[in-house]
Amino acid sequence: MLRNLTVALALSTLLTTTALAQPVKIGLTGPFTGGSASMGVSMRDGVKLAVGEINKAGGIMGRQIQLVERDDEAKNEVGVQIAQELINKEQVVATLGFINTGVALASQRFYQEAEIPVLNNVATGTAIATQFKSPNYIFRTSANDQIQSAMIASEAVKRQGFKAPAILADSTNYGQLGREDLTKALALSNIKPVAEEKFNIGDTDMTAQLLRAKQAGADVILTYAIGPELAQIANGMAKLGWKVPMIGSWTLSMATFIDNAGANGEGAMMPQTFIQTGNTAKRKGFIEAYQAAYKVDRIPSPVSAAQGYDSVFLLKAAIEQAKSTDGAKIRAALENLQTKVDGVVTVYDHPYTATDHEAISGNIPVFGVVKGGRVVVAHEDDIAGDKAVRVKPKN
Amino acid sequence: MQILAQLIASGIAVGMIYGVIAFGYQLTFATSKTLNFGQGEALMLGSLVGLTVVSFTGYWIMLPIVLAFGLVQGAVVERLGVRQAIRTKSEAGWIMATIALGIIFKNLAENIWGRDALKFPSPLPEAPLSFMGVNVLPMEVVIVFGALAMMLLVEVFNRRSIYGKAVVATANDRDAAGLMGINTSLVITFSYSLSSMTAAFAGVLVAPVTLTGAAMGGALGLKAFAVAIIGGLSSGMGVVVGGLILGITETLTGYYISTGYKDVPGLVLLLLVLSFKPSGLFGSATIKKV
Repeated sequence: MLRNLTVALALSTLLTTTALAQPVKIGLTGPFTGGSASMGVSMRDGVKLAVGEINKAGGIMGRQIQLVERDDEAKNEVGVQIAQELINKEQVVATLGFINTGVALASQRFYQEAEIPVLNNVATGTAIATQFKSPNYIFRTSANDQIQSAMIASEAVKRQGFKAPAILADSTNYGQLGREDLTKALALSNIKPVAEEKFNIGDTDMTAQLLRAKQAGADVILTYAIGPELAQIANGMAKLGWKVPMIGSWTLSMATFIDNAGANGEGAMMPQTFIQTGNTAKRKGFIEAYQAAYKVDRIPSPVSAAQGYDSVFLLKAAIEQAKSTDGAKIRAALENLQTKVDGVVTVYDHPYTATDHEAISGNIPVFGVVKGGRVVVAHEDDIAGDKAVRVKPKN
Repeated sequence: MQILAQLIASGIAVGMIYGVIAFGYQLTFATSKTLNFGQGEALMLGSLVGLTVVSFTGYWIMLPIVLAFGLVQGAVVERLGVRQAIRTKSEAGWIMATIALGIIFKNLAENIWGRDALKFPSPLPEAPLSFMGVNVLPMEVVIVFGALAMMLLVEVFNRRSIYGKAVVATANDRDAAGLMGINTSLVITFSYSLSSMTAAFAGVLVAPVTLTGAAMGGALGLKAFAVAIIGGLSSGMGVVVGGLILGITETLTGYYISTGYKDVPGLVLLLLVLSFKPSGLFGSATIKKV
């Protein structure tokens, strides 16, 4: 009898320990193939780098992190399928990812219903973090379009003194919602764009758009589009022998813009939460680890890699604070995070509240500029001294 | 005035790109009354193969290699997708088969070259030339004249050489040509080869201006199809003019009306042509005896 009891006891202890040692399953989704793959792959690699570091140091609460990676191909319907698979079949604790605003908006609904937190680490659509009312399970670690368009407008009008901006945006949701945000931001400085032009994905000739902007007397071009078409704009300007500065959303840092525009793309400026310069020890370490792990010199999309990396540590801190992998408890912990998370983008000190799910505030991104085929800091004094690490102001 | 001239110059360059792809549709339609709906993908494959080869050989030696690749690729499409449909006199089989092959080629290209847009090195300087205030890229001039030269060569081949005459004979009356001892199924294979060859050539011609990548075929192939319908599928001349019409309307509408409605007039024209002259502006109406 006593013997049986001991066996049972031993067995149950064994069961509990195995339960504890089970890995923490985290979903990871983004476009790893397709037009936005450079962002998706950099984000994924940043996440994997962080997970590798955490697992090596013993994991979360003694449990290893196990990533479940899925390629959403930047397609809304694939994103929805993946969301259902990760929630129902894989039973993930939380999901990191999303590059494309459309995919994020279509997929997040399922996580919200299943009460599983999402850390949206790249997509910038303004609606993403406010799609649901509290309790909202969607958090973000990227600079949203409202922040970016305000920065673009103030850089062009206030800092550089341009008076006649023309907006060139593609016809997707990304481009058109960005164009609206931009016009609103410009209106705050009482400036109306002299031209607002549109083009389709895959358009190869920008003559009409550029001539309209030129005839309207534009002195700067503000863009909301993605890499290949942005390159066609820069190349089209060179063809017409007309050169005005290009300032636009963070996609001007995409490799498909920089490589395809070549010399014509030099000088283009865009808001960046992270630029590949090791100006702090933390950033230097991150860049070197990334370069060593993936054998590259230039990170394809440094912003995506850094935001992806940081999102893992935010989630880790929340799970440890919640002492649980229960979705509702992780959400509550994220909304009231007690530990400061020292990330590569910023130091996250109470990044979220119940109503504010944006970790990045308007003061954090700085302007990058394309120089020698790379994105470097546009204004060195932006990151000088104590401004090297820019922190979100206390709520 | 200068702006108008600039818009027309850019429109001609874009239109010629459409025209040269549409020319490929016309080639196969003439002999077999079938089309390769994967024409855009043939263009994309040609330009990506060119991109790989160009780094070893330079631009001009790459051209014959790409042309040879196009010939083979076209023959593959015909053998796998079209021949069965023609043999069984299937009305729609070849449509599905060529679309399916197009998708397969696109996926293949995505796996080999990735899905990003890639830069194709330009064999000519990228600084624009200026003619009386109108700027054009040297490569755009090459596109216009290269496309015209290629179409001219194909036409001369068809009219002068004995093989070309077999093609024309098959185009005129396939059954009669067969009775005269012409191997008409070989002629049809050949016309597919020729069609993919022109597409592959167009691919390496336009890639320095348009960028290349697995996705480049889709939009261009569709525009070229509209051009083929506007110009008429039975006329080589028609597709050139159709291409120019579409290209110039696009840039003019973009500038004078709105860049948001750039594509609309071309599509309206397409609908008008389909309603009033279904065989195309330059097409000859054929009576189909049943």
